[in-house]
Amino acid sequence: MDETTARALGLGATVTYAALIGWLYVRQPQTITQVTGGLSAVVGAYRIDDRAFADGLRSFNADRFAEARLAFDRADPAVRDARTQFYVAYSYYRQGWGRMYHDDRLYREGLAAIDRAIALAPSGRLVVDDPTLGMHSADEVKVELEAGLRREPSDLNPMRLFGTRK
Amino acid sequence: MTPIREAIVLPCVFLTVLLLGGLRIAESTALVPPSPYSLILAVLLVRVVIQSGALAPERLMATSRSELANLNGVAVLATLWLASAQAIALSIPESGLPRLALSVFFLILVLNTSAASPDRQRLLRSLAVTFGTAFVLKFVVLHAVSAPGEGAVKRALLALLDGVTVGALLQEVPDPISAYVALLTLVLFLIGVMLLPSQRRPTRLELPMPSAMSPVP
Repeated sequence: MDETTARALGLGATVTYAALIGWLYVRQPQTITQVTGGLSAVVGAYRIDDRAFADGLRSFNADRFAEARLAFDRADPAVRDARTQFYVAYSYYRQGWGRMYHDDRLYREGLAAIDRAIALAPSGRLVVDDPTLGMHSADEVKVELEAGLRREPSDLNPMRLFGTRK
Repeated sequence: MTPIREAIVLPCVFLTVLLLGGLRIAESTALVPPSPYSLILAVLLVRVVIQSGALAPERLMATSRSELANLNGVAVLATLWLASAQAIALSIPESGLPRLALSVFFLILVLNTSAASPDRQRLLRSLAVTFGTAFVLKFVVLHAVSAPGEGAVKRALLALLDGVTVGALLQEVPDPISAYVALLTLVLFLIGVMLLPSQRRPTRLELPMPSAMSPVP
């Protein structure tokens, strides 16, 4: 290898490596799968596992939320798919919803998931056309989860007992 | 120095230090960038490295070199600075009084080393001792003190120590693998500094011995 080639290759490798480190610092992936999935998404090669997603959807519609989330995690191991994260957030909402009170822990998990979904969606806009859902956009889910986490005088309103889960 | 070492090996070594040094492995993994304070300390450290002759900047950037070669030199300098900052940040404890003490200790040490004007060999030895000591203090002593005890007596003593020091001494204990990663990072950083293009020593003129010039009759 002549000197110019070595220097050019070295410069290219340095810039690429530095960019990768910068990306890792920004994204903060937690697993190797998230790293590889994230890098595939950067080049547009990331695909979710459709079969696992269908399993998750089936469990979700049957109100088996923990099972649904396991399947969604399998479908989107790198946490790079906005629609899957939307369903994950929705599953936390439905599981945490209660007539008397909402489960704050599940709502917080849901809020984290919907924030991920919004961050992954193009321009932050995410609409899911699923007739079985009461809320179709990520914004609606986010507002609902945030409202559930707030402490307000309206929490004591007895009419709340007649509220419905979306 | 070969172009491969300058263009590929050194930047890669220093970038690896930057990457591994920021790794914090606990319940969740996080990558922590070097703090502004450690970036400033790193400037001083790079200055000391140049002052000692462990790094000859004119061998990285000069008008006599090609543009590409100068870009490689800039990459080495930039990554050395970032790696130095990360090595310092890694050696400083995460919180409380130990963090403050070690931060001041590093500042004084770098200034002192600069004032002492060591040569390359002494600086490398000094860096090894400094980072080695900081590693032992943070990853062995402080973590051993802060680790939650298995017995009731140790837990009680820890609670007492935490109360007496108003929580200023004990640290969060990371995953045991953190210490190994930190050791690897610091060793890699020292290897990187050792591989830097150093100042060429002036050639000594071999003067003839006086006895050879004027033989005693």
